[in-house]
Amino acid sequence: MHEVVYEVFARKERGEPLKHIGYIDAMDDALARVYAWKTYDEERWFEMCVVPRSCIIPVNRTDGPFAAAAPRKDRL
Amino acid sequence: MAPFTEDELKAKVQEGYIVESVQEMTEGYRKALVVQLTVQADTELMSAPAYWMAARYAPSTNTQVSAHAIIQDELAHANIAYRLLEDIGESKEHLVYGREPHEFKHPYGFDQPLDNWADLVVATGFFDRAGITLLTDVHENTSYGPLKRALIKIGIEETFHLRHGEVWMKRLSNAGGEVREILQRSVDWMFPMTLEWFGLPDDMKRHSGQLDYKLKALTNDSLRQVWMSATVPLCESLGLNVPAHYDESAEHYVLDYPFPCQYDAMEKHWFFEDGEISWDTVFERWKARGPMNQRYVESIRRSRDQVAKWLTAA
Repeated sequence: MHEVVYEVFARKERGEPLKHIGYIDAMDDALARVYAWKTYDEERWFEMCVVPRSCIIPVNRTDGPFAAAAPRKDRL
Repeated sequence: MAPFTEDELKAKVQEGYIVESVQEMTEGYRKALVVQLTVQADTELMSAPAYWMAARYAPSTNTQVSAHAIIQDELAHANIAYRLLEDIGESKEHLVYGREPHEFKHPYGFDQPLDNWADLVVATGFFDRAGITLLTDVHENTSYGPLKRALIKIGIEETFHLRHGEVWMKRLSNAGGEVREILQRSVDWMFPMTLEWFGLPDDMKRHSGQLDYKLKALTNDSLRQVWMSATVPLCESLGLNVPAHYDESAEHYVLDYPFPCQYDAMEKHWFFEDGEISWDTVFERWKARGPMNQRYVESIRRSRDQVAKWLTAA
């Protein structure tokens, strides 16, 4: 059962910035949405979204989890 | 290669440097963090089957909901901690599915059966208070950024578990009579169990990488004091007996029983009368694991292989 990492972003209220609140592992986007909503249920979020970690392109850092997950051509 | 030597990193984190990636870690730092996170993840994971099997004693649909909400939180916290471990080079697959039951690093308290509703509410009152005590120290002091952030959510939810436990302890205590006696029996085995959970006394503690790398700040004895400073007054206010009291002249809590001492897991009985034993004997008992260890671990993983085969065949 191959899962990949998704980053979870959310904002509590209108007007607030979208914040990185955590991460989940899932087999596909549909399950990622469910797992994120059920896992990070400590607030009544106004908005939540998930992003596959491998879709995040690091701009200035070559270390850390985003750099490790970025497609090879996007690595610094 | 790590950008710092062990001594340089130890000095930097003591001055407030926050580590953000595995590439910044020395091997010593990474190993100390792996130990800390493995204990944290395993404890959250193994609390789930312990609470799940006890949730069948919930006396109403409302309490079923609240008990299962706690179980859901604990599993989410475990998932988050294993994910943090993946990001520093460990395998969640191996940690959850590849180890023998006795190799898990959770405390001995979560190898015990919770036999009735009183056991479950005292567990959430005592064990979750221990969890909050340990994790609040980590949240306030850790030098590892991703863990500090993850603990915001975990802290909010553990506080709810604790409140659930303490409110129900009050309710059962107020019922009086036989109910209070059942509650007292739960307190009798879980109070010493939780104190033992915090580990070796400071004067016997081996050198701690977790303090050097600022993965936490409080010592085992300090953590025991923090836990007792909340738990002893709670129990006293409910008329429940606990083998510890506040010593006015010493200005700290003292234990009224030999610590550590031997435990009969089948009878849920501490042998105060047999006196103090060595910590080596305690470690042997922990290493042998408690009566529910295999069953709890199996309950977490029993359908994994079957569903994996279904998906492969599809």
